[in-house]
Amino acid sequence: MSSPVAHAARHAHAHHPAQQHHFDTMAQQKEAAVIGMWVFLLTEILFFGGLFVAYMIYRVWYFDAFAEASRSLNLFWGGLNTAVLIFSSLTMAMGVRSAQTNKRKATVNWLILTMILGTVFLGVKVIEYSDKFEHHHVPGPNFVWASEHPSTALGAGAAPAAEGAAEQTPAAEGAAAHRQLSLTPDQLQRTTQIYFSLYFTMTGLHALHMIIGIGLMSVITWMAWKGKFDAEYYTPVEMSGLYWHFVDIVWIFLFPLLYLVERHQ
Amino acid sequence: MSDHVSPVSLYITIFTALMVLTAVTVGAAFVDLGQFNFLVAMLVAGFKASLVVWYFMHMKYQSHLTKLALAVGLFFLVILLGETMIDYASKDFSPMPPPISSDAQIQKR
Repeated sequence: MSSPVAHAARHAHAHHPAQQHHFDTMAQQKEAAVIGMWVFLLTEILFFGGLFVAYMIYRVWYFDAFAEASRSLNLFWGGLNTAVLIFSSLTMAMGVRSAQTNKRKATVNWLILTMILGTVFLGVKVIEYSDKFEHHHVPGPNFVWASEHPSTALGAGAAPAAEGAAEQTPAAEGAAAHRQLSLTPDQLQRTTQIYFSLYFTMTGLHALHMIIGIGLMSVITWMAWKGKFDAEYYTPVEMSGLYWHFVDIVWIFLFPLLYLVERHQ
Repeated sequence: MSDHVSPVSLYITIFTALMVLTAVTVGAAFVDLGQFNFLVAMLVAGFKASLVVWYFMHMKYQSHLTKLALAVGLFFLVILLGETMIDYASKDFSPMPPPISSDAQIQKR
């Protein structure tokens, strides 16, 4: 809203090369970028919000199935990935800080470390997904829910009945395992499939965001290496950082929702 | 431009807090708190997310307009989650809908 005179007066000083013509100051340009990025992230929040609503409804309806299926996930891998992502958020924040303080090499190193941690996360996800394929836990015609997880009802209580169970058919064994549940094995076969559909949709879309984030980060790293940023202008680093932290936040909610439905028992 | 540069010690503190809270949420899941298990898990996750937004994402140092934009977005998320769940809780949906017809029953027909 500056008058032409004021604008001309500002032109007398040297512009920062990164300042766009339609912004009065670098601060104004930065503010526009920040609010724009947050508005984009809000659309992302509501995008994942729709999935969370679907999850909530089915979780309330088929809680026993969700608890059963959730126990089949490997808590070690899930916990490790949570730690890896939180650590990558720290390295990302350090990357932005290095850019803020004009440390070009440190910025590049922190960003590369962030990308490595993101790749570790995806690698663990590959291990987990292949495990799901092995156990027929991928929704579809080959989905089989067999209670073969020792953490469920086949624990200490089932041990005395083991001799009798040996003669039983697999279906009867399954029924025995779920005696305390409100769902029959057949219902469980169908409703755990809903859980795994949500599991693959939510973690899959999260992983897609991670892949996009790593792609984004490699461009930013290259730009940082080329010396495109300084303490006055590091907006792309900070915006990618906001995106990366957002993806971390989605996982902060996905971890308890998918891995920790009901771990006691 | 005078952007706030957070001290490294603050980032380390937040990182440590996030790790401790992750351990807390895992530990709490193994304790039978009944209905409160879910509440505790979501409160811890919400607190972790707030730490990330406030310090890692620098929301603390942003303008009121940016903070308002976030608040508006979260308000609509609450509407999305809250009113949908109120709808499902208050309407006469059976707790086990829809009645699942097993493969065996289908084969009998």
